Amino acid sequence: MRNFLNSFLLAFYATFTIISISHAESLQMGISVDQVPVDSSFDGAEIVVFGSIEGAEQAALFRGEYDVVIRVEGAPEDVIIRKKERIGGIWVNNESETYEAVPSFYSILSARPLNLISNSIELGPVSLGIENLGKNIPVEGEKTLIMNPGDFSDALRRLRIEQDLFSEIPGTLKQLSPSLFRARLEIPANVPIGTHKVTAYLFRNGEILNTNESSFRIEKVGFERWIYNLAHENGLLYGIMAVLLAIFTGWAANAIFRKS
Amino acid sequence: MSIYLPIAEMSVNIFILFGMGAAVGFLSGMFGVGGGFLMTPLLIFYNIPPAVAVATEANQIVASSFSGALAHFRKGTVDVKLGTMLLIGGLIGSTLGVYIFSSLRSAGQLDLIISILYVVFLGSIGTLMTIESLNAIRKSKQDNPPVKRKSGHDSWIHALPFKVKFRKSKLYLSIIPILVLGMLVGILAAIMGVGGGFIMVPAMIYLLRVPTNVVIGTSLFQIIFVTGYTTIIQSATNQTVDVVLALILMVGGVIGAQFGAAAGHKLKGEQLRALLGLLVLGVCIRLGYDLVVTPTELFNMIGTAEQGGH
Repeated sequence: MRNFLNSFLLAFYATFTIISISHAESLQMGISVDQVPVDSSFDGAEIVVFGSIEGAEQAALFRGEYDVVIRVEGAPEDVIIRKKERIGGIWVNNESETYEAVPSFYSILSARPLNLISNSIELGPVSLGIENLGKNIPVEGEKTLIMNPGDFSDALRRLRIEQDLFSEIPGTLKQLSPSLFRARLEIPANVPIGTHKVTAYLFRNGEILNTNESSFRIEKVGFERWIYNLAHENGLLYGIMAVLLAIFTGWAANAIFRKS
Repeated sequence: MSIYLPIAEMSVNIFILFGMGAAVGFLSGMFGVGGGFLMTPLLIFYNIPPAVAVATEANQIVASSFSGALAHFRKGTVDVKLGTMLLIGGLIGSTLGVYIFSSLRSAGQLDLIISILYVVFLGSIGTLMTIESLNAIRKSKQDNPPVKRKSGHDSWIHALPFKVKFRKSKLYLSIIPILVLGMLVGILAAIMGVGGGFIMVPAMIYLLRVPTNVVIGTSLFQIIFVTGYTTIIQSATNQTVDVVLALILMVGGVIGAQFGAAAGHKLKGEQLRALLGLLVLGVCIRLGYDLVVTPTELFNMIGTAEQGGH
């Protein structure tokens, strides 16, 4: 009996230790900037996400069992997709579908292709990867979700990829040492303004062990910000100023060229 | 050198836009037209969102028409009374136009309607202009005396009630066709992003029988107000006027117009009209081709952020 109890305790401790070890792995992460300014010379930017795998099992680390995947996500928005059809000889927007909560920007940074790191059973619930977008959103009523297969959602993904607003490029994340990583994110010039969420996932043998979250903002600054805010907060005043500017330009041109 | 447009929310090459402004300005100076009908399609070809292109172009036309109208005021070739009548119709039309513009945009048919309107108007005006000017060139070669302007009292338009005297234009005319013409051009101006001079000028000459010497000045006079009003209404309802884009186009446009006007003096009137007619037809064919040919991408999308509905 005593023996049995001892061996039970031993087994319990052993299990507990293993669990505690597997739970000890975590991710530390930092972003090179917390704000990307958009001014009149803005033509895209590059930011760096760096970090380390903490509390990892050294042997597994060297065997390359760990993977880090970083997801950068803009604010969700509703997207209307329209399909052109030939009606009476001309091409007209006909059928349309509306997708809710589509990220305005979506980028996956990883060292290897996602399908080599894990599978859709693991990736789907956390909406990781362009193919798995929206799989974490519960279906409510008549909501059309991006996960629904079909021409329209394929077109949405394709158009967003063409506009550089969706990307999933292996090799964007580099392992500097077995535990240190660095990822480069190319921000296109047409990036949506606002807060972008950065989530890092730590995988071991295809299973998510831990995550870490951070964010950065893309903000119009200076003149661009002033113009944009004025246009949206006081459109009437903005319009009057635009007209006065035009009248002044027209008058100036007339005055300058009349003399010469 | 690239510049970020705050309202269009895209990075563009400032020299390309300046060059576009100067090239269209050159043509408009040469032919005495506003150039909106060339600039708006060019901006759309350059991937500026159509909604921004149309509203911003209205803003640019304020500058070019103001500059042109000043010159006509000095020469005394503006009929302010007639211009004001057209303007009243124009403001009503422009209000309707911006409203139609917004509803077409939310229905996803704005781009299509803009293209169809361009094809229809450019096609018919370009054809008329080319035929008329080619006939004029042939006649001048045969050395025939030019056909005299009809007295205008034979037209059905002159049988309408509510007649008013327009001293400068030497006209005694009902205000109904003037208001209707002003309104129709106002609607088109708001939807198509044009001043409407290319419709207004022929309509004033052929329908209202306004003397040719006051037509351009009067048309420019009312275009300033209609496009200025359109700019303000578009800003207030759709937030689609990009002043940075407008300023680049304005500066390029007014400079190009000076050189264009100088070049225009070297050509005969009918030669100018024939060239303009062919140019108008060219733009029409380009836009019409895009409507008919199978597009490489059948799908298009719009996010709520881009629609202005936050």
